[in-house]
Amino acid sequence: MKEELIQKLKQEIIEVLNLEDLTPADIDADAPLFGEGLGLDSIDALELIVLLERNYGIKLKDAAEGKEVFKSVSVMADYIEAHRTL
Amino acid sequence: MSPLGIGLETNLQAVLSGSTGVRQYAGNAELPEPYAASKFDSSRACFAEVQGLAATVADVASLTPFEQIAVAAVVDLLRTHPELDPSAPDVLFVLSSTKGNVDLLLSNPADSRVGLSGSAQKLALCFGNPNQPVVVSNACISGLSALIVASRLLRLGCYRAAVVVGADIQSPFIIAGFQSFKALSEEVCRPYDAQRQGMNPGEAAAAIWIERTAETDIRPDDIILCQGAMRNDANHISGPSRVGEGSFRCLKAVVSEAEKARLAFINPHGTATLYNDEMEAIAIDRAGLSHIPVCGLKGNFGHTMGAAGLLESMLSAVALQRGLILPTRGFAQLGVSRSLQVSDKAQPATGCQFVKLMSGFGGCNAAVRFAIGPYGDEQSAMPSRRCVLQTLRRVVINDSGHVVVDGKSRDYQAGGNALLTAIYRREVGDYPKFFKMDLPCRLGFVAAELLLSQDTDRFTPRDDRAIVVFSRSGSLVSDRRFCETIKPGSFFPSPAVFVYTLPNIVTGELAIRHKYLGETASYLLPSPSAAVIDDIVAATFLDPHTRSAVVAWIDCADDNHFEADVRLVCAEPTH
Repeated sequence: MKEELIQKLKQEIIEVLNLEDLTPADIDADAPLFGEGLGLDSIDALELIVLLERNYGIKLKDAAEGKEVFKSVSVMADYIEAHRTL
Repeated sequence: MSPLGIGLETNLQAVLSGSTGVRQYAGNAELPEPYAASKFDSSRACFAEVQGLAATVADVASLTPFEQIAVAAVVDLLRTHPELDPSAPDVLFVLSSTKGNVDLLLSNPADSRVGLSGSAQKLALCFGNPNQPVVVSNACISGLSALIVASRLLRLGCYRAAVVVGADIQSPFIIAGFQSFKALSEEVCRPYDAQRQGMNPGEAAAAIWIERTAETDIRPDDIILCQGAMRNDANHISGPSRVGEGSFRCLKAVVSEAEKARLAFINPHGTATLYNDEMEAIAIDRAGLSHIPVCGLKGNFGHTMGAAGLLESMLSAVALQRGLILPTRGFAQLGVSRSLQVSDKAQPATGCQFVKLMSGFGGCNAAVRFAIGPYGDEQSAMPSRRCVLQTLRRVVINDSGHVVVDGKSRDYQAGGNALLTAIYRREVGDYPKFFKMDLPCRLGFVAAELLLSQDTDRFTPRDDRAIVVFSRSGSLVSDRRFCETIKPGSFFPSPAVFVYTLPNIVTGELAIRHKYLGETASYLLPSPSAAVIDDIVAATFLDPHTRSAVVAWIDCADDNHFEADVRLVCAEPTH
């Protein structure tokens, strides 16, 4: 169940963040999403907030909340499973 | 013109009495989240007066609300200064705006009135001015950019005087965009305060008449634009530099050691976002100016975008004429890491000069130093001679697959959108941010790669090369895309799209890629008129730091139609 959500999330992240040259296999579900690695920045974090709201009905108040949720794809999946309304 | 009233004196008194035009708005179908903003709809009587002023020179029905406030600002300027003649052939109109009529796209994506050049032409026509107006659209520093370019064109002798007009209105477009950036406060904003939570969008228009005066003719009460500078952070397209790099460099460029003692105050941007105010505090401190009083006006007017640089400069100037530093509404307790002297009430000023500072998306920053009366600058600080310019390299690209580098065609076996990706793949390949860019930025990016690939010392930070971009359509492609993300019933404003809805973002992308910390600016023109472009490029070289410039015409009418003509221009050494 969670594995499925992780795969779906990886695909969604690649799409909304225009990570053109990456495939889901390139993203390690347990690795940090921000900092080194995927080279994501503050606009990407804001765009992930939109993704949570549009696809899972989860509203985050600010970017600081996002910091916890977007630690890794795996953490994101746990958060979605606990809070989703869609 | 602001929701606080009509005319300079009314607005000055409103600031002195601590009034604010910011009101709280509940969510509705267009904007589901509540927000606080300073809008003309909070005072119908005030907007009726605006329309009455505009009606004295035009059929109001032929003007959009944005154009009405811009026209009204000029009418008000002229009724208080009847000696000025805006129709004279040696007078130029300069319009500063970030988004102009963008609200029209929400109901009709094909509305042709959205182009800012059209609004500028209407504005010039209302006052019988015969010259091609210049539109400056340089994000939140537009107002200062407009003053800087106008003053330089006067120094070059292109015109005797200029009417510089700044205006923006607020619509779900801008408000939803800043909401997606989590940059707005639902309460009246509090610049530099420990409790600040973000900015308030604001509506306003302001007009300034600027003319060249011999130093010997300066009267004690004249407001003098001494020096201006624009610098890019070359760091990020939306986030302010953590070390205040561009703002620091602007302050260094316009305030010399000797001039520090003459400064009465600094009127910085003070948007009341966490990052902007902190960045400015660092820049002011790095420039050795943290002992100078600081006053911010966003608590009165909100962030009035294209009008802000003009509105806040003129209010600061008029206050200083009366020996006053303005209060910072909403400030109580310092909330930045450096010890800024924030002025929390109106107080007597010491000194006869002030600096206006601004920064914006695209990593742009601007500062202008003003003086009241004779200002005592060294003569050499103000070059006004036109440089001899030489085009070193040139790249032309269009949607039919035509790529010409220094007169030689290159074949990438692709056309349309795919052409830009093909150029990226062959020439670069290791800059994945390319795929996050919108069409104008991708076009500018690959054109600049072809233009600059032979440079020695590539990617070494430098501040002697400017980036000047001209366009007809500006950010129209992204404007339309952003509208798609804020439809009632499907309201998910995209920050990654919104950030590209400014014509100057391409200058930021190029500055970041090439580590250019010099001047960046973007202008909108109805066509790539060589005469207008040559004048503005010559004006760019009046910044003593500028030795070369990337000069680009970059236009994307829609997803399938684009053209770029990009040159590397160099000033010939003068002996």
